Amino acid sequence: MFLALKEIKHEKLRYSLIIAMIVLISYLIFVLTSLALGLANENTEAIDSWNVRSILLNKDSNISLGQSTITNEQADDINLTKKDAYVGSASVVAKSSGHSQISSTYLGLDKNQFIENNLKLSSGHKVRNDKQIVADEKFKDSGYKLGDKVKLDSSSGKFTIVGFTKNAKLNVAPVLYGTLSGWQTLKGMGSTMKASAVVSKNTKVDNSNSNLKTYSINTFIDKLPGYTAQNSTFTFMIAFLMIISLIVIAVFLYILTIQKLPNYAVLRAQGIPANVLVKTTIFQSIILVLAGLIIGTILTVLTALLIPTSVPMNFNFPMLSLVALGLIITSILGAIIPVRTILKVDPVTVIGG
Amino acid sequence: MTAIELHDINKEFGSGLSRVKVLNNVNFKANKGELVLVLGPSGSGKSTFLTITGGLQTATSGDVTLDQNNISKISKRDMENFRLNKIGFVLQAYNLVPYLTVKEQFKLVDKVKKSHNLDNEQLMTLLKTLEIDDLINKYPSELSGGQNQRVAIARALYTDPEIILADEPTASLDTGRVDEVGELLQSLAKQQNKAVVVVTHDLRLENYADRIYEIMDGSMTERVN
Repeated sequence: MFLALKEIKHEKLRYSLIIAMIVLISYLIFVLTSLALGLANENTEAIDSWNVRSILLNKDSNISLGQSTITNEQADDINLTKKDAYVGSASVVAKSSGHSQISSTYLGLDKNQFIENNLKLSSGHKVRNDKQIVADEKFKDSGYKLGDKVKLDSSSGKFTIVGFTKNAKLNVAPVLYGTLSGWQTLKGMGSTMKASAVVSKNTKVDNSNSNLKTYSINTFIDKLPGYTAQNSTFTFMIAFLMIISLIVIAVFLYILTIQKLPNYAVLRAQGIPANVLVKTTIFQSIILVLAGLIIGTILTVLTALLIPTSVPMNFNFPMLSLVALGLIITSILGAIIPVRTILKVDPVTVIGG
Repeated sequence: MTAIELHDINKEFGSGLSRVKVLNNVNFKANKGELVLVLGPSGSGKSTFLTITGGLQTATSGDVTLDQNNISKISKRDMENFRLNKIGFVLQAYNLVPYLTVKEQFKLVDKVKKSHNLDNEQLMTLLKTLEIDDLINKYPSELSGGQNQRVAIARALYTDPEIILADEPTASLDTGRVDEVGELLQSLAKQQNKAVVVVTHDLRLENYADRIYEIMDGSMTERVN
């Protein structure tokens, strides 16, 4: 530890450059991971906020909420509990004079069921009639205010925004929470349809209708349009980036150690045990990577604070910790690879012959 | 009392047609309280002799006995330990760590060898004798060749070794300093009963030696006065 710290202190420029490289690599990985998670989160944040485990859909809907319908007749076969809630989904485009159009998802809810009851508002109040909506905060960020009237289609008249809520996006589109009657109107199906689906905090919805089927919420999420493909792409991108970055860091630390071999030869000639030199090398690598990770993390947090809200960033601390751990392990590996060379360093080389 | 004894030491490098014999049946002895000089030109094998004596490399054949221990038969780890505790190397290449100040060079030894080093008073006396006591906060790169060499000598003596092996310790020194180093090495042998072996081609050190060996083309002979 003594040697490791003294060398870093003495060779400030060299070690600053190495730390800067680790900062940039960790920053790149952290930011990309956070962006990917942010995007993934925008697909599911409404569902995540409901805290549900299963969903009952029409089995011909291809596990798509937008394609699924449950008729009143089918609904009679569902034994609804307090842990179940109807959801009516419709894709809409919100229009209002003076504001940009926003592609959204209207979700009709039953005011007596848990989604509506547990809905947390950042401002305003919950819906009191079929022409009121609670909008995701993206609307607020786009300039919409409480009391604004928006058209969601050409025939249903205007809806009034009476509240805003955070974390209400489904498949990246902001959600507009309304009533099941409002949903029926938007869909133009009258009252023959009960809802699009039933979501449940249980693993299964008690249903005897053969046209309806319960799916786990993970299965449903995986089938969200583009979700799996997008996540796979990001996962591969980050994985390749990690692998390449880790190799680059390992190679740098290896070269750093190899450059120190003449000094190690001197120390070995003096009788300094090889294990002291190995510990010094590993400790030094850990210091460098930790310093790089800490600065990289601070930069990432600053970026998240400064980046526009339209660019979603999400921190998954277990995952980022895993990335950090990967970097630390790689740095140790980078330092361990030349251990054999350190152990075999020939003190005679400093004496000559 | 015999501190160093080399018996029929041979050292070969390479194999087949490229085989080179660097040391040829070398026999050598140094007692405690003696300063023994090994004189020879460059390429004569004197550094190889020194590294084998100090356990930095092994002989192709023959035995090396240091302080009653046959080091040809001990493990690498034990040899490292032996070197740290019993041998002080003064190397031509100064053997200083470039990123440690003079003071820290000694601190490093304290970290690894926690006892039986010189105490602070003894160290300051040694540094004053070598006239480097005002350089303790300097890095090796800030010192002249001669100053580096004197720090290297102090570093080698700091562990209070029983055996001192010096490789061209006066290579970077002017005549005045050569005499000082010669006197210092001689006093270490006489007053502290250490075995001091100096390999050099610097004839200016002859006056300080108790015995002189000459080495030429790997063969060593003791000069008889």
